Order: sequence, then C-alpha cells, then structure tokens
Amino acid sequence: MHGSVYLARKVGLAAGTVFVAITLNFILFRAAPGDAVSNLSRVPHASPQLKEALRHEFGLDQSKWAQYLLYLKELAHGNLGISFADQQPVSHDLATALGNTVPMVLLGTVIAILFGVFTGTVAAWRRGGITDQVNTNVAIAFYSFPTQWLGLMLLILFAGVLPTSGMTDEFAIDPSWWAHLQDVLKHMILPSATMALTLYGEYTLIARSAMLETLSEDYILTARAKGLSNARIVRRHAFRNALLPTTTMVALSLGYVVGGAILIETVFSWPGIGRAVYQAVLQRDYPMLQGAFLVLTLSVVVFNLIADLLYFKLDPRVTE
Amino acid sequence: MTSKVMLGAGIVAALALATGCASQSSPPGGNNNGSHKVVEGGTLRLGSASSIDSMNPFVALNQDAYSTFEYIYPELVQYNAQLQFAPDFAKSWSTSSGGKVWTFKTQPGAKWSDGQPLTAKDAAWTFTTILDLAKTAAGNQAATLTNLKTAKATDDNTLVLTYSVPVANVLSNLQQLPILPEHVWSKYTANNGKALKNYANTPTDGQPVVSGGPFELVKFQKDQIALFKQNPDWYGPKPHIDGYGIQFFANDDAMVTALKNGQIDAVEALPATSVKTVRQAGLTVTQTPGEEFHDFIFNSNPKKPKNRELLDPKVREAFEYAINRQQIVKVSQLGAGQPGSSIVPPASGGGWFDKSLSPISYNPAKANQILDGLGYKKGSNGIRVANGHPMNYQLIFPTDGADQRSFEIIQNDLSAVGIKITPRNMDGSAAWNATIAPNGKYLNFDLSMWDWVPLVDPDFILSAMTCGSWNNWNDSGYCNHAYDRLYAAQAVATNPAKRHQIVDQMQQMLYRDKPYIVLDYLDIIDSWSKGWSGFVESPQGLYNALSKDSLVSAHRTS
Repeated sequence: MHGSVYLARKVGLAAGTVFVAITLNFILFRAAPGDAVSNLSRVPHASPQLKEALRHEFGLDQSKWAQYLLYLKELAHGNLGISFADQQPVSHDLATALGNTVPMVLLGTVIAILFGVFTGTVAAWRRGGITDQVNTNVAIAFYSFPTQWLGLMLLILFAGVLPTSGMTDEFAIDPSWWAHLQDVLKHMILPSATMALTLYGEYTLIARSAMLETLSEDYILTARAKGLSNARIVRRHAFRNALLPTTTMVALSLGYVVGGAILIETVFSWPGIGRAVYQAVLQRDYPMLQGAFLVLTLSVVVFNLIADLLYFKLDPRVTE
Repeated sequence: MTSKVMLGAGIVAALALATGCASQSSPPGGNNNGSHKVVEGGTLRLGSASSIDSMNPFVALNQDAYSTFEYIYPELVQYNAQLQFAPDFAKSWSTSSGGKVWTFKTQPGAKWSDGQPLTAKDAAWTFTTILDLAKTAAGNQAATLTNLKTAKATDDNTLVLTYSVPVANVLSNLQQLPILPEHVWSKYTANNGKALKNYANTPTDGQPVVSGGPFELVKFQKDQIALFKQNPDWYGPKPHIDGYGIQFFANDDAMVTALKNGQIDAVEALPATSVKTVRQAGLTVTQTPGEEFHDFIFNSNPKKPKNRELLDPKVREAFEYAINRQQIVKVSQLGAGQPGSSIVPPASGGGWFDKSLSPISYNPAKANQILDGLGYKKGSNGIRVANGHPMNYQLIFPTDGADQRSFEIIQNDLSAVGIKITPRNMDGSAAWNATIAPNGKYLNFDLSMWDWVPLVDPDFILSAMTCGSWNNWNDSGYCNHAYDRLYAAQAVATNPAKRHQIVDQMQQMLYRDKPYIVLDYLDIIDSWSKGWSGFVESPQGLYNALSKDSLVSAHRTS
C-alpha cells in the first residue's frame, strides 16, 4: 500500500470515529435516568416555576430528535453550548478546567514515560541481576498502588512541607507572573508526582519486555559477534525497535491527558477537568458533558492518529 | 452536611439552601471567650468542602453561594443569634390591611460599594424583576415572593409590599432574598431576562463586584477560591477583619490537614470523624444542633400496587420499633446528633418543633409482636411472609444523600425481625426518577432513604409532604387532603399562636401516618484555630445565610 493511501485511510477512520462519538455522547447521557431539572428536586429554591422555566430554557421540552439536530447544528458552528449548571459558555468552563489539568497531568505523564522507559531498558539490559529485580519489583509495587491511596500518603507525608491542595496560594491577590508560576509549580509537585509514580511502573514493564524481545533477535546476536559493546547494542540497535509497543502506550496516555485524573484532582483539590466532568455527570449537565467528551474523544483519536503516523515513520513495514 | 464534595448531605447535588436556627450556646455578638483582646485587621481564611455554583443569584442554588450573598448584598431582615428577626437593610417594618401590606423603612444614606446610592428603589426593582420574570429567568427566587402583588418604593427609604392574601412567613422569605443594585443589573432584564442568567457577576478587569454588604468580592475562581475585602461604604457596623477568603477543597482530609497546618484559619462543616484529631491539635471545635435530618421513607401512595402491607401504619410502627436510632447516632454520626421524630427539627427557631413528639424507643420485641399479630409469620429462611409474599423489599439509596452506615444498621435491625431490605444504589438524579416512577405516579418504589436540610421557617419542609408537591419536593408519594388544608391554613395564619397550633397538628399527623421515619438530626461542627474568635454559631454553621453577624464580629485575638 502506498504511503498516502495509508494516511488517507487512517485520517478517514479517525473522522468517522469522532462522528460516532459525537452521536454516542448525545445518546449516552440522555439514556441515564434523571435529567438536569429533576436533579434539582430537593432544593428550597427549586420551585415548580424554576423547573418549568429550566426545562424550556434547556430545550428539554423538545423531542430528542430536535435536541440532537440542534446539538449538531450548534457543533457545526463551533458552539459547545451553555452549561446548565452555571449558565456560562461550556467552551469557557472547559478551557479553564483543561488549562488547569493539562500541565499537571502532562508533567506527571512525561516524567512517568521517561523514567519508565529508562528503568525498563536498564532492567532488560541487566536481565536477571539485582538491578533488574529491584527495578521490576518496585515498578510492580507502584503500578499496583491505588492512586488515591498513594496520593493521600504523599499528602500526609508532605503536609506542611509542600502545598497539598489547590493549584495556587488562594489567598494571594494579584501576585507577579513569576511568583505565580513558582507558586503553581510548587502546588504541582505532589499531584504530578502521584501521577508519575502510579503510571511509570506500566512503562517499565512494557519497555523491559519489548527490549528483551528485541535483544533476543538474530541481528543483535550478529552485533554481539561483531564485538560491539552492550551499551552500543542497546542504544544503536535495539532501542528504536523496542520503542514500537511503547509508542502505542505513550500515545494512549497522552490522549487521556485531557481526561484529567479525577482521583488525583480530588485528593489534591486540583480544579481540573476530571472534577468538572464528575460534577457535570451528577448534575446531568448535558452541554458540559458533551463538550468534555468531545474534547476527550478528539484528543484520544488525534494521538492515536499520531501514533499510527509515527509507526509509519518508525517501521515502514506497517503499510505492507 | 456530610461533606461530600459538592453534593453534600443529602440534598441532592450541591444544593442545600437551608436556613437554620437556634444556636446552642453562642451569646449575641459572637463567640468571644471573654479573656481575649480583639485585634483589628487581618484576613480570615475559611475552608469549605462544598462549592459556590454561581455568583449570580438567579443561577445559584448552593448553600455557600447564599451565605456569600448574605455578606455582599443587603437583605431586608436577618436573624439574630436567637433566630428572631432583626434589622438589616430595613431598620423597621410594620403591617396593615390584615397582613396584606408590609411597609419597610430602609437605611437612609446607604451606598453601594461603587458610590451609587443604595435605596428602597433597588429593593423595589429587585422584587419587581423577580415577579416579572418568575416564569423565566428568575424562577429560582420566585417562591420567596409567593402571593406578592406589587413592590413599590414610595420614597428613597420606604418600601411597600402588597400581597394578594395575608402571608404568614413574609419575613423569613424576604430574609433569603438578596437586594441587587439596579444600576448594574437592569441592563440584563430585556428579552425575558435571557442575559440575566448568563451574567457571571464576578470581578472583571480588577474591579470588584458592586456590593451593598459588609464585604465585596474581589476574586473568584470556581472550585478554588472566593476572596473578599471590607466594603467601606456598608451601612452597618464595621467588621473587625479586613477581608476573608473561602478556599474550596475537594476532600475533607485535605481540608482538615490544611487547618491543622495553619494554611487556613477555620472550617465550616467539619466531618465528625475529624473532631478528635482537630481537638488534639489544639483547635477550637464547636458542635451546634443543625437543621439537617436523615429519613427512612415509605412509599405512601395509596394506589401503589405491590407490597401494600407497607401502607399499613402498624407495619410502619413495627419498622420504627425495630430500628435502633441511638445506634445510628452513635455509629454513623459519632454522637454528633440526636434521634429524630418530626420533620421540623428542634434546632428550628421560633419553637416550631412539636415537643410532644419523641422518637419511639428501640424495641425489637415489640416489633416482632406487632408483625406476629398481623399474621406475618417467618418462613424457613427467617423472612416473614405478608399476604403471600416474603417481606423482602428494595430500598432506593441515593449515594449522595443517604448514609451508608445508617443503612447497614437498619438492614441488620430489620433482618433481626424478619424483614429483608436490599439497596439500589443510585445518584440523586437517578434516585429521584426511580422515586416518582412511572411518569410521576409514585407507583413502583417501596422504600428509600434520603435527607433534608429545612429552612428556619417550617413552611418549606411542611410543603414537601403536600399533594401539590408531587413531582417537585414530595419524595414519599404522601397525599392527605386534610394535611393539605392545614398547610394552606398555616400559610395565611398571620397570628403566630394560631400558626403554631396548626403546624403542631401537621407534625402530629405525619408522626401518626409515618410517610417518614425521621432517623437523626445532625449537629453542625465548626472549627477554628487559636488566635481567632467572635464567630456567631448557627444551625448552618459559622458561615451562614441567616445573618451578617458572624463575620462582622469575627476577629483575631491577642
């Protein structure tokens, strides 16, 4: 198959996936029992007048089909709608939450990837030795810790030393941008570390097994026979081939970066997308949910597409 | 509140606009230990495990939002520490025409924080806007102005409200209603007020929100922080603090850790599980009877087709004897509460709770005796058989409202008398749909558990049991026309003694018919660090929507 055909097919598939996801996002949340208005049933201010007004305002008094068409039309114009819960544009609420989440989760994920691939490669290189055993066992231990437990342990251990909640010193008014940046980075340490620690083990194990498989290939034996050093064999001959399965993992992880990390965000009161989506689910805030899942879908699809394209670059045999 | 992120205690999601009453031991003017010297200035850092859903009073439903409106907007009246009505923006008031006309004299020479005059005209504009837009943009405030015909400012300091019928709870309704600056908000009322709800009402371009209360909002980041500074133009007494901030936490542990480490100065609604560690850390902890209660609900719709034995008051009485409420308070609330009896909690101000009603004591032998007497014999599996089917019921369990440990206690208690219950766990929205199913007819469910946070005035919680509240607040399918007649009568009983009599009668009726078994009344637990004092406690805690007193009198100590 020609390279451009491969590319076109992958892009077409991605576009189709996005459309299906858009429709599913619409159906899924409406299929759940309850709606944004019935959710208000137990509040003194939720008078019958309010519920009637909201039903009309949210368009919930129209048929599902009419609501779907309206949703598609608005989406085609790039309009994600108005949040039922706070009456602000979804794009604004989403952008704020994403802006908070992405740096924290990305930092944690990148550290996890780099550290995981490094420890995995080292473990494979020193297979069977003490380095391998320590690396693998520690990785398995962190991989199996529940995220919220690890987060809470870090919170208890570092309380008083590092900030344990929120993403800035909330009581500072108009700090300089430099002071603000330092403040955010300080607040990011614990949540990002939790993220990195819970994720890296997975990378260690995958990188290790990929590397071991590659190291058992015939051409590696040839390299050894040529008298090349171990370090050179790993770096120049094995590493790139061993990266293939890791690339898929990395792409998937990066795709989920925008999904946030609800448990970490909850433990450290990080005002990110994970918490926003959780609240939106409880409030049946359809526009917010649709918007958030659209962004999540798009990012997963786009990163998968990038992985496919990278594969093409790393291993041109995929088009055959 | 049970502290669950935003969907705190039982009122579904986020929403408890409660109003409480009856503070336990706080002297008027604040909780000052006496020996401390008041230190002026400083910023009070509050922690909350709830959130503010919106700063716009036409959108907001959360408790913290309404507590905030209390401090940034004038309200006509407020409650004092004994939960009696006290002046706020209105200095005095009088009624005429048999309770249909209310005249309020407002604070003369008052100003908004931007220097514009704050007059009775702003109040008249706010109320008239709500009346005009009651069916659209102002729906969430509409119920507080029920039966209001007109709101007119006859001069800058006189507001006249004319009702179509005498209304018994005018002042408690008006106490919940923030008065907004007409010069800021009037431009959003066009087009049925569509823009009224989209207005975020947060500081923009470094300008604080125009305020008429003791504080003005200078910074707001949802789920993170709301920061306030003193409003020098306020008409009332000058607060001791320069300002305050509320930091929002997504979990209680982080909030308690922050309090212990001195990152925040005080928290509202401390979880009972943290009381011990916080006390050990040397912080002040107060426990005040609150408004919230948990209830065990029987579907009371007489048309319910299945398991009709649950409609029998004798069966309900057996349930009540079988449930150990002391144990629920001890285990679920760690002692921070008391067993319940009426849907009007004793913490209510104004003595609305009917003292003649007391919780039925735990007595499984009596429960067995009643059930045996009805001929519901135990089968081989230990479960009783009623009218040919086992007494085995599903119970709707809203995960964001009911209490898991209480459920387990009840499940064991009922099992001991031969009744099996199985939970159907759902979030609030799904639980509500399951309750009114099918199509708002209340035919399908047997049992459920939930909670309420009533207002100070009993009107709201009493209305939740009326036929007219079906599909709105009524979660038991209870519909009793005699009860409804009493409800209508109390709403127009402007003579307090007469209203008390009717409200007592209604509570007795519910106690007898048992659509609910009121399980427990919860205490509100607050805590603050050494070096702070002066907070006014209330059934809603130290940060409440009942009065401006708490943060006006709060201060640092030397």
